[in-house]
Amino acid sequence: MSTESISNQTRLSLLQPALFFVAFAVFFIASTASAQQTNPLASDPRAARAGGVIFRGQCATCHGADAKGISSIDAPDLTLMWTQPGMSENRVFTRIQAGIPGSIMPSHDFPDTEIWMLVSYLRSVAVTGSTREFTGDSGNGGRLFAAHCNECHRAGISGGSLGPNLGRITEIRSQAALRNSVREPNSSIGRGYKPIILSTTNASNVSGIIKGEDAFSIQVLDSSQRLRGFAKSELLSSDRDIDSLMPAFPEGQLSESQLDDILSFLNQQL
Amino acid sequence: MNQSRACHQILRRMAKKSSIVAFGLLFPALVAMAQDDSGPDYGDILQGFADPSRWLTYSGDYSGKRHSPLTQINTENVASLRPVWTFQTGTTTRGRGFETTPLVDDGVLYVTGSNNYAWAIDAKTGRRFWQYRRNLPDDLTYGASAPVNRGFGMLGNRLFMVTLDAHLLAFDRRNGDILWDVELADYRVGYASTGAPLVIDGMVITGVSGGEYATRGFIDAYDPATGERIWRFNTIPGPGEPGSETWPDDPEILAKGGGGTWMNGSFDPELNLIYWGVGNPNPDYYGDSRPGDNLYSNSLVALDADTGQLRWHYQFTPHDLNDWDSNHMPVLADIEWQGGPRKVVMVGNRNGFFYVLDRVSGEFLLGKPFTATTWAREIGEDGRPIVLNDGSKGCVPDPWGSTNFMPPSFYPELGLFYLTARETCATIVPEEPNLVPGQASFGGVVFIDPEIGSGALRALDVQTGELRWEFTYPSPTFGGVLTTAAGLVFAGDHEGNFMAFDAVNGENLWHYQTGSRIWGAGAMTHILDGRQYVLIPSGTTLTAFALPER
Repeated sequence: MSTESISNQTRLSLLQPALFFVAFAVFFIASTASAQQTNPLASDPRAARAGGVIFRGQCATCHGADAKGISSIDAPDLTLMWTQPGMSENRVFTRIQAGIPGSIMPSHDFPDTEIWMLVSYLRSVAVTGSTREFTGDSGNGGRLFAAHCNECHRAGISGGSLGPNLGRITEIRSQAALRNSVREPNSSIGRGYKPIILSTTNASNVSGIIKGEDAFSIQVLDSSQRLRGFAKSELLSSDRDIDSLMPAFPEGQLSESQLDDILSFLNQQL
Repeated sequence: MNQSRACHQILRRMAKKSSIVAFGLLFPALVAMAQDDSGPDYGDILQGFADPSRWLTYSGDYSGKRHSPLTQINTENVASLRPVWTFQTGTTTRGRGFETTPLVDDGVLYVTGSNNYAWAIDAKTGRRFWQYRRNLPDDLTYGASAPVNRGFGMLGNRLFMVTLDAHLLAFDRRNGDILWDVELADYRVGYASTGAPLVIDGMVITGVSGGEYATRGFIDAYDPATGERIWRFNTIPGPGEPGSETWPDDPEILAKGGGGTWMNGSFDPELNLIYWGVGNPNPDYYGDSRPGDNLYSNSLVALDADTGQLRWHYQFTPHDLNDWDSNHMPVLADIEWQGGPRKVVMVGNRNGFFYVLDRVSGEFLLGKPFTATTWAREIGEDGRPIVLNDGSKGCVPDPWGSTNFMPPSFYPELGLFYLTARETCATIVPEEPNLVPGQASFGGVVFIDPEIGSGALRALDVQTGELRWEFTYPSPTFGGVLTTAAGLVFAGDHEGNFMAFDAVNGENLWHYQTGSRIWGAGAMTHILDGRQYVLIPSGTTLTAFALPER
């Protein structure tokens, strides 16, 4: 044992100049990278178009022609990635160039310019909603949210979990999409929120949203917000052809200005 | 071969022919040497399932039926099947699967994994004897996007494995040492290799991936002793060669024509023919640059095993525009066909049709859809698909196909062919690509309808192609199939269930949630010390199941 630890110490001291060199090299690379942190093509509108052509040729088979990913092969929706913590154009550049080790995402030896074009394209399709200022009364929005939304949605610390967490929603969905979801919630129901009514053998009906499913079982969050798993063999029937659990709020019930207030409140949660 | 090796082989052959007991009494020391295992020879692989303690080639035998004679686990007791051990590989392939079929001999499993890992494992306990990991270059091409492997080939004390940088390796199975290492093709152009080598008499046969790159596919035969190449069959003809008339008269297009051979094939020792599937033409979706049928893409080829020369071919998808590689396990069977015996080869194809062909001549016998498809109305008498070009076709099975390379199974006594079917809906928009060596060139984009997608295990009557029964899965599935003579079908799904069914009526008899999807792999089974095991790779683990010990 002692021989082993001495030899380790010796090795460490021998390595010190090398460590210094590595540290220096990392610093050098980091400073070079930081010089690249801004996309040199950011101001060129042609870059996103050219990037789109490259994307459709090189990336679309996995990430989809619209960059929204293909869930059956775990290829992520790239239009949502900009909202990940710490995401930056430089990081996207590095991911394209180096790939993601241990995943199906390979490295690419494209010229830097082409990678920046891809970054420009991905920026252009990003689902970040702030196309319009939030001009509503956020104080009133908070009261409206508490009255109409809070039972099912969270926007901060408290709230329900039957619907999506809206704490960062104005960052990842456009205002138009959010307005549409409030007025016509059935027009688009996201994965993880598809509604179902289960009829169980003890003669009770369970309504909820599908969280997971295989050939033999189904996992739901029921309308009382309790996680419940069922073996399909214990179900009498199931009905999926039903409306979203999110009720529609037509203008008569929630005016445009009230909706503005709620969106302003949500924007403040960021 | 050294003298003691030669001696062992002679002893083994004698022991097989004469009385092992008497021989053992006379020469115990020599028999002990003979049992110092020189490993299975070609004759052993040829016997297939005759010794069910062994599984010596990808499908268990050369025919590709994946139908084991073992009956200890049966329809009555399968409900009590339980996991015995789990082996954790510690290496992942996001987006693809743990696609291997383990080989087993003398109580030892030989298993390949993702990222060119490989192991020898105690079949009884799941404990590891050795691990191999290849140092792969950091500029892999196709091999980076699908870092998978489907298994070893075995001969004597040698194992054979292909690599993501398109090499073929020979291992010493006792310690995992590399005996020789040959390059199949330059990976930097776009080649890789992922199939399980097919070992026949004096040859190791393998193919390559890379049809999404500017590559030209081939099937190769190598000397198991030295790694020397014996023959090569190019799947895309050279200028002036037969088949080149189905391409533009342009050597550059032929040289980049694709036609990968990444899934291993089957073998008929009597006819001395190798059956192997060929992949998509390059580029995948853009056909304007390659008018014609583009032989031998999307075909089954029958090659003379001695020379690699083409005996016949059948093209499933002429001028493919959907990336419907025909890289499937060709299933060989001798069946009654319209009143007489017939040697057939059967393929459930990515294009949505199930095919029966005469495997002596390649004659088309049957082609029937097994999933929804509007690509072709039917297959004509002449074996050509009647493709719908009237603008009515709408969506077609997605590029991952109506089924794929996950192995199917054939149950001879029932005349049923079991395969995993995928119901999907895709629209493909071609775009002219720029073909650059080392860069993938799909030539278009795919729109997959996210609201349509399911899977099923389907049992097809091989006489008619009609559906006998099915069991449906919530999503398109990539798990393979195994049948056993006890009337069982074992299958895996995308949600991670490993399941057993009554082969006759499709009743689900047992399932076990493995915790990760079963993707690309079919189960295998063997008997060890009187106990039948069934093994399935899933996610990053290999799990062995058996009945409870009494």
